[in-house]
Amino acid sequence: MQFSDYLRLAFRNIRRQKLRSVLTIFAVVIGATSVTIMLALVTGAKGFFLNQVEANGTLQQVAISPKADITEFNDASHGYGGNCDGCVKLTDTIVGKVKAVPHVIGVARIANDGNLEAITYGDKKLSLEQTTAYDANGIITNNIVAGRDIDSRDQSGVITITSDYADKLGFKNKYDQLVGKTVQLQTRSFYSGVGADVQPPPQCNGPCDPQQQQNQKSTILTAAIVGIADTSNNSKTIRVPLEWMRGMEQNRMYQQTEADQKAQQDACKNVRGNCSPTPPHYTLITRDMLAENGYGSLIAKVDSSKNAAGAATEIKKLGVGAADAEASIKQQLTIFNILGLVLGGIGGIALAVAAIGVVNTMIMAILERTREIGVMRAVGAKRSTVRTLFTLEASMLGFLGGVVGVGVGFGLTRVANIFVNKQLASQNVHARDIIGLPIWLILAVVGIATLIGMLAGLYPAARAARLDPVEALRYE
Amino acid sequence: MDALIELKNVTKTYRLGDEMLHALNDVSFRVTPGEFIAITGPSGSGKSTLANIIGGLDHPDSGSVVVDGNELAHTRDGALSVYRNQHIGFVFQSFNLQGTNTALENVMLPLVFSHMKNKERKARAKECLEAVGLGDRLKHLPGQLSGGQRQRVAIARALAIKPSIIIADEPTGNLDSAKGQEIMKVLSELNKQGITLIVITHDLNVARLAHRVVDIRDGKINEKRG
Repeated sequence: MQFSDYLRLAFRNIRRQKLRSVLTIFAVVIGATSVTIMLALVTGAKGFFLNQVEANGTLQQVAISPKADITEFNDASHGYGGNCDGCVKLTDTIVGKVKAVPHVIGVARIANDGNLEAITYGDKKLSLEQTTAYDANGIITNNIVAGRDIDSRDQSGVITITSDYADKLGFKNKYDQLVGKTVQLQTRSFYSGVGADVQPPPQCNGPCDPQQQQNQKSTILTAAIVGIADTSNNSKTIRVPLEWMRGMEQNRMYQQTEADQKAQQDACKNVRGNCSPTPPHYTLITRDMLAENGYGSLIAKVDSSKNAAGAATEIKKLGVGAADAEASIKQQLTIFNILGLVLGGIGGIALAVAAIGVVNTMIMAILERTREIGVMRAVGAKRSTVRTLFTLEASMLGFLGGVVGVGVGFGLTRVANIFVNKQLASQNVHARDIIGLPIWLILAVVGIATLIGMLAGLYPAARAARLDPVEALRYE
Repeated sequence: MDALIELKNVTKTYRLGDEMLHALNDVSFRVTPGEFIAITGPSGSGKSTLANIIGGLDHPDSGSVVVDGNELAHTRDGALSVYRNQHIGFVFQSFNLQGTNTALENVMLPLVFSHMKNKERKARAKECLEAVGLGDRLKHLPGQLSGGQRQRVAIARALAIKPSIIIADEPTGNLDSAKGQEIMKVLSELNKQGITLIVITHDLNVARLAHRVVDIRDGKINEKRG
């Protein structure tokens, strides 16, 4: 007996009890449809995530931290400004060395600080948690929803703010109107950076504490908003040009020059008793703290995502911490995979219920066709032939249900995509048709449905094969 | 002449509740090729059991059954199925045709289990239906045929695999006497062409046609010449 004979006989038997077969298949269709949709959602979300990661270039990036023990991309990119034990300062010397590492094609220096405490526009004043700045060399990109991003020509006096702030400033859904507006930025107290009115210490006899003469009031800086950035990355930050940040980080104070100190000492060298030297001369000394302490973190861009891990290893040899994004992406992909199992399992419950329907249908069919089985046995069908025939019949119920179910699922994902596309468009995301139905998924669902049909048919088929032909022929 | 079928000391017992029912009790029995045997006896006497054991549908509890050189008593299901498929044609009282299949497809069924190509199956099935006078009823469903015609389809099905033995269990039991005679004529004709024929019946008119009548009572053979 050839396989085509089995197929023909099984198919004919399915067609014989049309309503019952259709109902049984319908149950499988529901199961297969739900599995298809669940897995399509997860696959789509995973694909969308990977696309976004690929698009914003994260896979081509290596995050560099002053702390050598940093292994996570996200931790590394957050950075640690200032001093820490066992840290290698991310100075421009290190930046130069990183740039020399093979496959590295660019480095963005990142500095975050809390010098700015509030932003004021009109009568609205919002507190600021963090100010960020980095090289506008295209390595770190932002999703700008209005205006423009900070570019390499900007030196100072311009900022971008996140849409979250724009909303709070009262410009929800009219971001364009906020572009070009001037805002006041209030610094912390003891601010001595650019724009601060640093006064020389008052004349005093004897030693004076230069720190006391520091400006203690906060300074108001003005800036023009050039653009609004999407909130998805950092909701509570404003971005300033890196050079402006450098200015804000400056430590400026009046100090007595060494020459002046020496002149004073010289004047009193040969004087016995009280010596009243000439008044000290103070000079405004400016220290570039960003250069001295190093940047908070660096992002190195490599020529290709497959070289990111190797470049990270090389960069670590400089004593700094470095991590590529692959590990953290893998972690997130694991979450998608678990989600897929859970959702697929939920769909699978419907499929399991359908399997019970298949068992039921097959047992009924065998009771009805007992005599027929007897005849088949009498004219030469082996037990194994009968078993194969009924197993195949059950598999076919599963297969047909799987095919129709995938078809229905496909249709539903297309419809869902129309709605999701609208949603994405309104969020300014440049991705469409993200709920995917790859060919492997189609084949897998049809395969699983067929397999479940087959498994459901095993017991009824074994029962059919066990029938004694003499009894079967006598069955009424 | 060498025996085509030889049963020696065959015993078959069924358990009915607490009682043991001797369907066949130490039966020995020979059939030579081309014979026409009628097996008669009251119901429950064991005549169907005898036919089923010869036809390879049932195993004896003890004794030996040799058909055409094959020992059937200890043959396993697979080989026994092949034996049935190659040697035996069954004809049943209630025809046992598949109602949703045409006459042609019903006759083709045994050939599906042999190694025959689909085209040859069709040709052979058509040939058999023509042989029983139904060459013009190939595409008819059993429901569109009369009782006599249905039994002729069943005979054609038995004939399809060119059996050496046809076993007919009450082939005229569901037919009126005219149709019954017609069927017996077809079977007798096949017997004349050399097929060994075993007919189980309690119709004396049918038994009279046989070369030999084997009467079974309480599992014992009581043979008389036809």
